[in-house]
Parts: sequence; structure tokens; C-alpha cells
Amino acid sequence: MQLLAQDLVNGILAGGILAVVALGFSLVWGIMNIINLAHGAFIMLGAYVTYQLFVSFHLDPFLSLPISFVLLFGLGYLIQRFLINWVARAPILTTFLLTFGLSLLIVNLALIVWTGDTRGVSTSYSGANFTALGVTVPWAKFFTLLVALAITGVMHLWLTRSKTGRAIRATSMDIGAAQLSGVRTPQIYAIVYALSAGLAGVAGTLISLSYALTPTMGEPFLIKAFVVCVLGGLGSVQGALVGGLAYGIVEAFATQIDLPIGTQHISGSGLQDAIALVVLLIVLVVRPTGIMGKATA
Amino acid sequence: MTRPSTVATLRRIGLGGITGSPVAFAVVLVLMALLLAVPFAHNGYVETTFRYILMYATMAYGWNMIGGYTGYVSFGQVAFFGIGAYCSAVLSTMKIDNLFADVALACVVAAAFAILIGLAVLQLKGHYFAIATLGVGLAVTDIVSNLDALGGTGGMNISQVDEAHFSVYYYAMWLVALGAILATYFIARSKLGYAFVAIRENEEAAAVLGINPRRYKIAAWAISATMAGAAGAVFAAANGHLEPSIAFSPDSNIFPIVMALLGGIGTVAGPFIGAVILAGVNELLQRYFVNVHTLFFGAVIVLVVLLLPRGLVWLFGLRGGARAWLKSLTVNKA
Repeated sequence: MQLLAQDLVNGILAGGILAVVALGFSLVWGIMNIINLAHGAFIMLGAYVTYQLFVSFHLDPFLSLPISFVLLFGLGYLIQRFLINWVARAPILTTFLLTFGLSLLIVNLALIVWTGDTRGVSTSYSGANFTALGVTVPWAKFFTLLVALAITGVMHLWLTRSKTGRAIRATSMDIGAAQLSGVRTPQIYAIVYALSAGLAGVAGTLISLSYALTPTMGEPFLIKAFVVCVLGGLGSVQGALVGGLAYGIVEAFATQIDLPIGTQHISGSGLQDAIALVVLLIVLVVRPTGIMGKATA
Repeated sequence: MTRPSTVATLRRIGLGGITGSPVAFAVVLVLMALLLAVPFAHNGYVETTFRYILMYATMAYGWNMIGGYTGYVSFGQVAFFGIGAYCSAVLSTMKIDNLFADVALACVVAAAFAILIGLAVLQLKGHYFAIATLGVGLAVTDIVSNLDALGGTGGMNISQVDEAHFSVYYYAMWLVALGAILATYFIARSKLGYAFVAIRENEEAAAVLGINPRRYKIAAWAISATMAGAAGAVFAAANGHLEPSIAFSPDSNIFPIVMALLGGIGTVAGPFIGAVILAGVNELLQRYFVNVHTLFFGAVIVLVVLLLPRGLVWLFGLRGGARAWLKSLTVNKA
């Protein structure tokens, strides 16, 4: 029972990060119909921005959140304006490969700048944790979850209440009607992509608090972001949050599985990608619209 | 879905059609004939380089069948390549060291796996199909890495022919590549090929015409798996050692796609031309810019996608020169 509760809490804590990862991914996918394979690279850049500020200026990781957001926002804006915009309506292979190529470029530039060494951001509270009802919770992950919830809430308010937010949602519902109503869609695309990159930067900062940093650290999050979007339902902020938490919990339990094959036992912790695929296929077959959603499969 | 106006623009400047330029196909056959002479150079490095080119070409043809002709963008072809490679390794542990047996078993197992997994995955479309296939590739890697029977992450060794007869691997790969080229040529001209293209252009309309999309999609997927599996079997035999990071390397997954794109997807000549150029470029980058060659490769991908989105083979048929080319680049601008 105690173990189950610990797994559940671990899952929720990991799910908060996944929600922020998927939030930006879901925006670009839902509004521009582009699967952004560079999202993992943006996450990595956000983490290294935090690392660099921490090492050079001893800036607390939580204080570097706005900085990595702004830097990645700018980078995303430029990439959309000068590269992705050219193929915004091309067949999916084109945007897949373009964002993959960008990802290779960014990751390998990072390899040159920061080398392939594993790095970490170790603050005074890194190892600290508290115990409630027999369940251990690291402070860093606890605050990460709170920040993730706050960001999701702000994004939800901004998308539903602000003028730009409404223009973004209008573009995703019916691009033709949005244009007729005076929405400048290329501008919206640029904002959406920039915002998504900014959110990836924020996710990277949050991840740097609890995980090791390498230039390829963003890759495992890509397929998870996709599964989270499908699981929660594409195109809504609540979907990313619910999907992120649900997937975090599923993964926390699935990695505990001990699978006997012949004389050998295979631990679920080595099968993270297989778990993601199985969850994806089950959701697509059983409930293709996701838990919250209105997606099309 | 491509918009009607886009299709009209592309037709007007000569970028429509099904098989691509016949001139380009003739060039491919001539190049293949010339490649037969490579082992006479008696240079191990050159022979290995060209064997890799033939391997990537075969895989590019495999991807082209499902991604190019049928329009289902797969990111999981490396699973079939790896499965084919492990077929060679398993046969070697059973003391069966025969390249024909390796390739035959690899084709059968890869195709069977494709059909089985295709029953689920081919129900999906677009992004969902692409990511699910990416997941298939990663999941197979996970599972093989964890199976002690296949050597786990440490891998397996494969007994090889002696040094003097090493060119047999080159010729085997050449034959496999020729098989992929000819299969693509004949399929593209047959009812099967037209059914694939019909599914790519409009699946519902194809179904109305009496094409069973599910059956034909599984056929395309199985054919593509056969090609990747055969390439994997010969690769493993020539390599002598196999482990998950080699059998399922990201390079073997993404190179063939970029090659097919550079040459021209949905054409008979494109994958070969793309493979020769890109494998050549990659070899030069690895030789002279060891530390940054992946960086360059990323830049190559970005440039190809932006500047040659229809591939080189279509340029043969382009009408209207540089202006038409520039115009073709902006049809998908937001």
C-alpha cells in the first residue's frame, strides 16, 4: 500500500513536467498541424540556459524560468519566420524532416558548446525532501509540480480571455474564417511556434532541477509528448495537463512490471518506449479523442 | 492533403506524374552496372563504402514503397532492418552460414512482422501513423536489448567467410539492391503500384474504385519491410558482429528517408540517386569533419527540404527553368 502510494506520487510529480512538455508540443500540433521534432532540442536548450546561468551567476533555477522562456521564445520566432513558414502547408513528411534537421543542428551545436559530458544543477535544496503520510516527496519536484500547474492555468486563461489567445483558437478551428475576420495567420503561426519553444524552455528549466543534463536529453520526451497529447486530447490546455498526469502515473506503475519471458525476467524500466507505444495504441483504439478531447485520428 | 490549386501549379511546371523520369531510371541501371566493377579495385575501404551506399539505397527503396508511393510516412523501417540483421545472427548460431538462407529468412520474418504490426498501425493515418511507427522502431529496440537469447545489449557474433572471398558480401548487397530497384520498377507500372498511388492521393476515392485500402496498405508495408530486412541480413553477415545500437541505429532509420526525399519520393530512380549522393557526402563529411559531420548532415536535411522538396528526379522534367523552380518552393508558404 505504502509502495503503491509512493508510485502514485512519483507518477504525479513526473506528470507535472510532462504536462508542460506536452503543452507547447500540443499548441504547434493542434494549430499548425506540425509535429515539431525540434521540441526536444528546445527543452535541452532551456535546461542548459538554466545550467549556464547557475554556474556563471549562481542564479537560482526557478529565477531563470523567465529568462529561458524569453530566449527560447525569440529563437522559436526566428525559426518559424525564416524556415518553417516556407513549408507550413506542405505534406507532413516535409515538416517532419525539417524539424528533425533543425533538431540535429541544435543538438550538435550544443555538443560543441557544452560537450557530451553529463551535467547537473545542484542547488542547496536539491537533495532535500519531506515526508507526508509515509510518502517521500523531494522539494524540488514538489515546487516543479506547482510551477507546472501555475503555467497551465496561466496558459488556459490567456488562450480563452486575451485577444491574441482567441485569435489563436480561431485559427485552429477554421483558418479561412479566421482570416476573413482579420486574423493575420502567419503572425499567429509565428506567435504559436515561439510560445511553444518558450514553454519547451520552461520545461527544460524544470527538468534540469531533477534530471541530468546532456545534449540529447530532450529526445525521450518527444514520443512521450506525443502520447500525452493523444491521451489527454489534442488542442486543449486541460488535455495536456490531464494527459501528462495520467501518463506520468501509468509510466510510474508500468516501469515496476516484471515480465517473465522464458527463463528470463524483463523489468519494465528498460521498456519505456514499448510502454509508450502500447499506451498510444490502446488509446487510439479505445478512445481516439483522448480523455478530454475532440481530436481526430 | 495537397490542395487542388497546388496540384494544378505543380502540373503546369511539369512536376506531376507517377514514376518519374525514364532518363533517370536509365542512369540508375548504368550506374548499377558500373558498380559491379568496384571489388576489382581491391580496396577494402572503397568496397565497404560502396556496400553501404547499396545498403542505404535498398532501404531507401523500402521506405519509398510505403512512404513515397503509398503516402504513409513511416519512421520505423529500422525495425525491419534490425530484424533482418538478427535473422543472420540467429542462423549463424545454428551453424547455418549461407547468405541466401540469411536473406530468405530475413525477408519472411520481416514481412510477417510487418503484416502483424500493420494490422494495428496501418489503421492510423498521417501524424498518428508516423509516430506509431517511430514507436515500433523504439519498442523493438527496447525488447531486443532486453532479450538474453539475442545477446542483450552486448550483442552476437556472426561467423564470416575468409578474407580472400570477402567480396561475396558486396555482390550479395548489390543483388539485393538490384532486386529492390527492379521490384520498384515493375510494381510502379503494375496495377499494384497504381493502387498504392491511388491510396496516397485519396484513400476514400480509391476505396470507391474497388481498391481495398487495408489490403493494399499491408501489401506495400510488407514489401517495404522485405527490402529493409534483406539489406539488414547482408549487413549483419558482412559486419560479423551485431548489437542493438548497430542494428537499430538512428542513422539507418533517417538516412533512407532523406535519400528518398533528395532523389525524389514516389519515383523509381530517386532513392538510388539520393543514396549515392548523400552516402557520398556523408562519407566525405565523416572523413574531413569528424566532429561536426552530424551538424552538417542536419544542415543538409534543412536545405534539401527547403530547396528541393520534390527531389532531383523531378528537376529532369521541370518546365520553365529557375523561375518555375522558385515558384514551386513557395506553393506551401503560409
